[in-house]
Amino acid sequence: MIDLIDVSFQYGNGTEALHDINLRINNGEFAFIVGSSGAGKSSILKLLLRETLATSGQVIVNGFDLNRLKPSQVPKFRRSIGVVFQDFRLIPDMTVYENVAFSLRVTDRPVKEIRRRVPEMLELMNLKHKARQHPYELSGGEQQRVALARALVNDPPLIIADEPTGNIDPEFSYEIVELLQRINREHKTTLLMVTHEHEMVKYFGGRTVNIEQGNIVFDDYIVGSKDEESR
Amino acid sequence: MMTVASVGTLVACLLIVGLAVLFSINVDNIVAYIGEQNELVVFLDLDAPAEYPAVFEQELRSVSGLGEIVYISRDDAMKSVVDKYLEGDAGLMDGVDSSFLPDSFRVKITAPDQLDTLMQSVGRMDYVDRVEAPTELTKTLVNIRRMVNTFGGGIIAALVVVSMVIITNTIRASVFTRRKEIGIMKYVGATNTFIRIPFIVEGIFLGLIAALTAFFITWGGYDLFAGMVSRESSSWLAIVTSHIVPFSDLSAILLSCFLVSGVTVGAFGSAFSMRGYLKV
Repeated sequence: MIDLIDVSFQYGNGTEALHDINLRINNGEFAFIVGSSGAGKSSILKLLLRETLATSGQVIVNGFDLNRLKPSQVPKFRRSIGVVFQDFRLIPDMTVYENVAFSLRVTDRPVKEIRRRVPEMLELMNLKHKARQHPYELSGGEQQRVALARALVNDPPLIIADEPTGNIDPEFSYEIVELLQRINREHKTTLLMVTHEHEMVKYFGGRTVNIEQGNIVFDDYIVGSKDEESR
Repeated sequence: MMTVASVGTLVACLLIVGLAVLFSINVDNIVAYIGEQNELVVFLDLDAPAEYPAVFEQELRSVSGLGEIVYISRDDAMKSVVDKYLEGDAGLMDGVDSSFLPDSFRVKITAPDQLDTLMQSVGRMDYVDRVEAPTELTKTLVNIRRMVNTFGGGIIAALVVVSMVIITNTIRASVFTRRKEIGIMKYVGATNTFIRIPFIVEGIFLGLIAALTAFFITWGGYDLFAGMVSRESSSWLAIVTSHIVPFSDLSAILLSCFLVSGVTVGAFGSAFSMRGYLKV
């Protein structure tokens, strides 16, 4: 669960990126955050990942009050979220398997569990045949699926996806979002996806939070064209 | 690539520092040896009692900074006068008593830098008439040795500093190329220790390799050099070459110094260079 209460955020030079934001995303929800670049989307992400601290207000993620979190507690907090980035951020000298296994190794899971969980995840992402390849041998869509497998393998209650389709060919972008929605449905994982691709949001629909100039200007459920078609 | 660069830099730095130390040790050793060839000559008063030289010799032995002591009695002095000036014809000195010659001692100096003090303290002893020593030569040698030590020490210190700078920069560059990796690890929830350990282990390992490489190169180079110099033994260099410290005397300490500095630089270099990237 994510709870932002009266959150403001200023950069060191005094520029205000977020102004008195209130946002609550409940367990099991799927939400899009949209907005043009510079609107404050990445500031929200930085706050949610505890890269930076809010200037004022409370940021609560998965029960961790981030403003009060001790630096030594940060790794524990980060393990409770799975993150997917626009640029995938896979470790280049590790194979697909090792990249996924890495986020389990970090938490000192037993080898047995790693050997069981990783193939499961690769299977789920339809990547089993790519297990021994390196990230640079894969297409953008495949790399993003590896990143997704890595985010999911810890079975975190929350996944945050930052422009996950930004570097992927359009025909595969929708596939990625469908995967995210499936994860949300089947694993009851709370999912927050940041994007600037309004077309895609209009297609899928669901809860949509629009941020402009540091303020939330829209926060409601929209009906996607996908659902309209099926009706 | 960066690991090759790091090891290479570390090897080069260890080599330079190691060679500077070895050179300085040898120069010091040779100069010290030449200095020890200096002797004090102590002449006793003519009216010193007959049994006094034995007492005096005991006293000399208790003075620190003096080496081998050779007693030259009046009779010995007489003999050498006969040998030196009368071509061994003792007859010419018939009827001449050796009592006009003083008892004397030839004393090796092991602490040439304290020559003045030694001469004074020996000169103050009972029945000492005169103390002679090649003061100028000794002083020159002492100065050379002091200069070698100061300059050598200074150069070595400067090299160590330069090496540290080069090494930390090389390691920093190699960590920089992996900063993304470190960032990713942080996002996945790795603790700083978890991220640091492989880097430090790698640092230690590279330090070990560098230390061993530098050690073997130094060994080979040193023996080669020593061999070349000793083949020149016909000349005055013979004195010098016979006092080159054999590598076996230095190998243990050199190896341990290399290992300690290689491993320390490797470990701390990595740990230090990655500090900035851990604050994500």
